[in-house]
Amino acid sequence: MNARANKNHLTSIEPAYYEAVTEAIRKEAVKILKEETVVGVVGYLPGRRKGTATPALVTSVEEAEKLIFSPACVNNLSVYLTKAKKGVLKQGKVGIVAKGCDMRALAGLMTESQLQREDLFIIGVVCPGVYGFGVERTGTLTEANIARKCRECTVHMPEGADVAAGTHAELADLTPEEAEEMARIEAMPQAERWAFWKEHFSRCIRCMACRQVCPFCYCEQCLCDKNRPQAVESSPRPAGNMAWHLVRAMHLAGRCGGCAECERVCPMDIPLNLLNRRMAKELKELYDFEAGLAPVEKGPLNQYKEDDDQSFIK
Amino acid sequence: MQIITEQNLRNLIDLLVKEAKLVVGPKLSGSVVLYEPLTAGTELTLDALPRRSSKELFFPVCEDILSYKREGGAMKVTDVDRSKFPETVLIGAPPCDAGSPSILDAVMSWDYKDEFYLERRRKSTIVGIACTKGDDACFCRAVGLSPDAENGSDLFLTPLKDGSYACNAVTEKGQALVAAHKNLFAEGAGAEPVPFVDQAVQKLDLVKIKKWLEEHFEDPLWERIADICVGCGACAFICPACHCFDINDEGSTDDGVRRKHWDACGFAKFTNHASGHNPRDVQNKRYRNRIMHKFKYYDDKFGKTLCTGCGRCIRACPVGIDIAEILETINAKQD
Ligand code: SF4
Ligand code: SF4
Ligand code: SF4
Ligand code: SF4
Ligand code: SF4
Ligand code: SF4
Repeated sequence: MNARANKNHLTSIEPAYYEAVTEAIRKEAVKILKEETVVGVVGYLPGRRKGTATPALVTSVEEAEKLIFSPACVNNLSVYLTKAKKGVLKQGKVGIVAKGCDMRALAGLMTESQLQREDLFIIGVVCPGVYGFGVERTGTLTEANIARKCRECTVHMPEGADVAAGTHAELADLTPEEAEEMARIEAMPQAERWAFWKEHFSRCIRCMACRQVCPFCYCEQCLCDKNRPQAVESSPRPAGNMAWHLVRAMHLAGRCGGCAECERVCPMDIPLNLLNRRMAKELKELYDFEAGLAPVEKGPLNQYKEDDDQSFIK
Repeated sequence: MQIITEQNLRNLIDLLVKEAKLVVGPKLSGSVVLYEPLTAGTELTLDALPRRSSKELFFPVCEDILSYKREGGAMKVTDVDRSKFPETVLIGAPPCDAGSPSILDAVMSWDYKDEFYLERRRKSTIVGIACTKGDDACFCRAVGLSPDAENGSDLFLTPLKDGSYACNAVTEKGQALVAAHKNLFAEGAGAEPVPFVDQAVQKLDLVKIKKWLEEHFEDPLWERIADICVGCGACAFICPACHCFDINDEGSTDDGVRRKHWDACGFAKFTNHASGHNPRDVQNKRYRNRIMHKFKYYDDKFGKTLCTGCGRCIRACPVGIDIAEILETINAKQD
């Protein structure tokens, strides 16, 4: 129903839409498992609490029949294809449920030779949005409970998936809260901006959840864990926190796909995606590059060109 | 029954601040409520469970334990003067927070006496408050507490329907606090208490769970959870009962500070030895430790469960790992 309604007038996405996507995902997952196209499928299962979901690695048809898609399916599952999770599923082609924003991470991981397209079967989700944090989980997605990143989503339609689940549906007239917040911060005098971030970073407890969920933080040895000698103070104090956040922002520049997972999982509500977006903006301005749109040979920070902009070297 | 009005509770905070006590309570910090020093009674925020637990009052996120400086040929080491730790009053902790120090005291005063923790404990008074606003992550009843459990509180407040609080001075510290501010408390019958919220998980057989854990050090369950767990510190850091810490020397070899800060068994390097060997080399061994420590090891050693059922780890886990669900699963097992 909703999918057919004029998108300019959609004020809610009803559970029926998510149920239809769920059906499509189940059908596809069961099929590729039965046909042994894949050894397993990374998807979502319902959580114990109402309106929650949890990532799952399913390897049997019975489990695949329980997969869901709902506004609670917030995780970027591509993290389960890299780092410590590499090899969690036995060798072979893997199916993965991916929203548009997750697809950007997959493309980025292909660019960085962490993944090969032919090893994946991508069940793309035509995604109207997911819940933000601390909102009412009613099953219906509205302006009141949609995640901040989804308000400005440009990838509702997943490009380059093997199959797509769902038909186009999106909420109308969403205010771009994050872009407005970016503009507000950029307009601040430098001292005020510094104070803004200092205040936020002072709450950081270095739980590293932001790093652990990021598909691109896949270093075997994170600089910030080094202690012989210590590179960045690992104690949660102003100096180390600032250093950690600079390192994180810099290391993700030109790579971050904008899934905003780091910000979502931060138990201290630190608006990390503002930093990610700022770095993305720099990359766009300096190199006309946007990470994760499609796999490329090399990202701009991994190569040198004679005509690279050097104005930032002072 | 002793009653304190909401206004007088806030006045009490003002008075304690004037007495140069460190008064800590739930307070809005940015968009999150945290336990923070209160400068006035008006700052007390009782409508949300603070994002981090009140353990940090005794066991801070990070603290200096000594400093060192090379002077000529010798290294001068300066200890932290713990006598300077302030007299502290914690106000507004629900049972799942107020109850945690009484669990942690056991390990902190065991074979090694953690004087940093113990000194702060000696100097603190805990004003707990009955909880009326749990959600579907709470399961304090299932681990032996309840929304009106007085465990760990020196003075315990029960919210009444007319906005005031019934007070029970549980310990001498609590009695002393009331005696010193008598005029703020009144004798009275008191209105009806505000009702508690029902919890989804109410009953767990902790003895049975422990027995299962004893027999299932190796079990596919651990792998199933670990397949999903991304190995962060969120669950341990915000937990009122987790108490692991790391020690780092920061600064230079000539001049620096030794610091103690929170650690978590979810981290890949949690038990990494200097040799490079790691006995908990994969995530399932690390997650297993989380459950074992809370529901078996701690009980073996100290006869207590290392969990107050606050539900924080459930709300915060990036991947939705739900400890109450895991306990229910174990509880339901037949083998
Ligand atoms: S998730 Fe938040 S609190 Fe944890 S390390 Fe990252 S920024 Fe800090
Ligand atoms: S830095 Fe954050 S937004 Fe960017 S890819 Fe990593 S988790 Fe996603
Ligand atoms: S284990 Fe979870 S529920 Fe139990 S006390 Fe810790 S944070 Fe709370
Ligand atoms: S459960 Fe883990 S982090 Fe918590 S106290 Fe035990 S070992 Fe430490
Ligand atoms: S666990 Fe939940 S219900 Fe129990 S005291 Fe804590 S917040 Fe209240
Ligand atoms: S918070 Fe969740 S993902 Fe992080 S270590 Fe704990 S259980 Fe694992």
